[in-house]
Amino acid sequence: MNSGFLSVSGAAKTFGAATVLDGVDLSMGRGEFISLLGPSGCGKTTLLRIVAGLMAPDQGKVALDGEDITRRPPHRRDVSVVFQNYALFPHLSVAENVAFGLKARGAPKNEIAPTVARYLGLVQMGAFAGRSIRALSGGQQQRVAVARALAVGPKLLLLDEPFSALDRKLREAMQIDLKRILREVGTTAIFVTHDQDEALTMSDRIAVMHRGRIEQLDTPAEIYHRPATPFALGFVGLSTQLPGKVVQAADGMVEVDTEAGRLRAKANFIPGSAVLVGVRPERVAIGETKANRIEAVLADAAFQGARVQLHFAAPEGGQILAEVPALPADARPGTRLTLSWNVEDTLVYPALDLVA
Amino acid sequence: MTKGSRFDPVLLLAVPAVLYLALIYGIPLLVLLGRSMLAGGAPSLAPFVGFFSDSFSWIVIGNTVRVAILVTLLCLVIGYPTALALARAKGLAQALILVAIILPLSVGVVVKAFAWQIVLRRDGVVSQIMTGIGLWDEPQRLLFTEAGLVIGAANVFVPFMILPIYSVLKLIDPRLGEAAATLGASPVYRFFKVALPLSLPGIVTGIAFVFSMAASMYVIPSLLIGDRFQTLATLTGRSFLFMRNEQLGSTTAVVLLVLTVAVVVASAALSKRLGGAS
Amino acid sequence: MTAIERIASFTVWLLAAATVIFLLTPLVVTVAVSFGSSAVFTLPAPSWSLRWYQALGRSRELWPAVLASVQLAAFSTAIALALGTLCAIGLLRGNFRGRDAVVTFLVSPLMLPGLVIGIAMLETFRAAGLRDVWLSLVLAHVVITLPYVIRTVYAALSLFDFTLIDAARTLGLSYPKAVLKVLVPSLAPAFLTSGMFAFLASMDNYPISIFFTDAWTKTLPIQMLQYVEESPDPTIAAISTLLILLAVAVLVVGDRLVGLRRMADL
Repeated sequence: MNSGFLSVSGAAKTFGAATVLDGVDLSMGRGEFISLLGPSGCGKTTLLRIVAGLMAPDQGKVALDGEDITRRPPHRRDVSVVFQNYALFPHLSVAENVAFGLKARGAPKNEIAPTVARYLGLVQMGAFAGRSIRALSGGQQQRVAVARALAVGPKLLLLDEPFSALDRKLREAMQIDLKRILREVGTTAIFVTHDQDEALTMSDRIAVMHRGRIEQLDTPAEIYHRPATPFALGFVGLSTQLPGKVVQAADGMVEVDTEAGRLRAKANFIPGSAVLVGVRPERVAIGETKANRIEAVLADAAFQGARVQLHFAAPEGGQILAEVPALPADARPGTRLTLSWNVEDTLVYPALDLVA
Repeated sequence: MTKGSRFDPVLLLAVPAVLYLALIYGIPLLVLLGRSMLAGGAPSLAPFVGFFSDSFSWIVIGNTVRVAILVTLLCLVIGYPTALALARAKGLAQALILVAIILPLSVGVVVKAFAWQIVLRRDGVVSQIMTGIGLWDEPQRLLFTEAGLVIGAANVFVPFMILPIYSVLKLIDPRLGEAAATLGASPVYRFFKVALPLSLPGIVTGIAFVFSMAASMYVIPSLLIGDRFQTLATLTGRSFLFMRNEQLGSTTAVVLLVLTVAVVVASAALSKRLGGAS
Repeated sequence: MTAIERIASFTVWLLAAATVIFLLTPLVVTVAVSFGSSAVFTLPAPSWSLRWYQALGRSRELWPAVLASVQLAAFSTAIALALGTLCAIGLLRGNFRGRDAVVTFLVSPLMLPGLVIGIAMLETFRAAGLRDVWLSLVLAHVVITLPYVIRTVYAALSLFDFTLIDAARTLGLSYPKAVLKVLVPSLAPAFLTSGMFAFLASMDNYPISIFFTDAWTKTLPIQMLQYVEESPDPTIAAISTLLILLAVAVLVVGDRLVGLRRMADL
């Protein structure tokens, strides 16, 4: 993977007093699939529009395939976009929509029809070629939008929350389908989403965005197991979070006092630092089997099929969660339980207030 | 339709207005139509046969249609770019264009036609400007010419071209233009393949409005071109008001009615077939 | 941007600017002439004066016409607002086949030649033995004002979410109160704009009024046209300037109440 196929460096954008992008760097390789994941207002759509050329950055550079395209208008970038509302042309048929980009680029007449047929086939919409856009369902429009974006053979495909209007079942089917299609075509793609499951399922790498910055750019597994910031811990997946204070530090190990109890972790902090301790719920066991132990009162248990998710009463500013295969027989809301987990699974961050 | 055929009492609210317009407006129009096909009490198309076999009638029809087409074209040529600019403008520019459209709309047609009398005179503003920039060798009078009539009428009617086009343009999803751009379409290509086709329903509506108004105008030609130039509308008015020839007036009124209804109906059908932008 | 795109964009803005000037020209000219000393409309005026406003003050023909037109417009607009709003609600809530055709009929007076409508009404009124000038004028002018109200209020109503009324009722309002608190405020802009344009349309109407006025009762446009044709002097520009001022005032109030952009929805 040549990791400089697309490189965004120092991209910044402000709207009035609001800083929407605060010096973002992003580098991706040819054929890679990266998700920009974050809550609304984190700057992910702005970054996508800057890459597409629909918006100019105040500062920073965008380079694609070795060329600086920062000032290049969108129609000369070879970057296709699948828009959130699909933005299909209502006055054109399905086939004419897919042919639009080819015609706009002056593709030879005899190549247009076969290319359109090929891409409509790829998204399983071949039978709808002559239909009007208005006659299509949301999922069908989605497929046409993907075919239209891919038919021009873009260097880079951008997808702006393309599944947000679909219901859950259809969304999951489309995720798998899109992954297959992109693999077949071999397109490099950036996928904008606020849905962590979607990002974890589909991406080679995920860029977690928060307040106009990329907080972490890593593989889905790494982001889940080693979140780099408290925001990544909180936004991607569930977690137990306990605020506390470092009381001892030596040899890369710290001891943290929390209201729930004293915990040990591998980290470097000065004694006295305010910190946030985190652990993923599936790492938490019931009983005193692991090194870090706390006691907590069960508040609620949510049956989730293969596992049970347990919520406990937590000290202020924290939350305590566990996911276990089965609920202990005598446990009910109000029962006091001992929870434990490994020192290696314990994550420590500077307290949120200091980051903000 | 078992449910739909049940009478809904809320419909009663509509009855007074519908009844009013049917009595005061609908039935009189039908009576006018019916009576125009009577001659001396018997059903006859003689008045129309007489009208259409008179060569003067064809001059009048020609005047009406020609002036209406010219006014419509002028309105389209200056109105479309204005609607486009209005849809893209923000802040002060947008407010200025809106005021320039709505303010004249709320000023009477007699006032505007009177002002054009002054502007189009031999020593009027147009003449001064044209000689000033050297396009005309000597001052010319546009008042009481067809060109003057077309200019004055276009001035009065151009808001009715701009507003329907603007209302369609502003509904076009801006992402359609962005989508076209990311697919490789240049701004000019985007205009001709996306914005223009999507605004066609507005154009059709604007053309129908302006054409039917220009074909029916009475005050503007009275002031800007005078009696020697007759259209269906001025002839209708004169037949009733001055010549006391109500037979001729009824005939021309029906011809004018059929002409404008045909244009409005055709445009409504076309506009519906083209569909909206949304 | 390429050169072609730059030229295209420049042309659009140039034409728009030219159209703005074109649209405002008659108004500017009227105002300029009204303050000029010249009796033959010379522009630029040799010197400024208020003599035409003094002449207007003494006019025996124009003021009665102004009064007649304002009364007529106010009366016919009030009737149209009452009938038209009820009609729009009835048509929208009472879903039935052929509704579009009925709506088209109701707004069609806006699109048909005024002269033809006037002649048709003249003949029918005559046949019905109606000779009263005022009654004829009011009956005729409601035909002009009613379509404005029906069109605008109907369009606003079709955008209104009627479940809001149900929501208000479940929150404890009686049906009339829910209508008053929820429906009326969201219809107010349409009500105001349509009333404004209906009023102006009635004030400005010539081709229908001409058949119903007589030597004693003349509406303003008819009196003004007669004045322009018989004894043109800038007194007519002075009263036109006052009318423009009225239009500006209406526009300012309209902008405050509903905003210019919504007024352009008409």
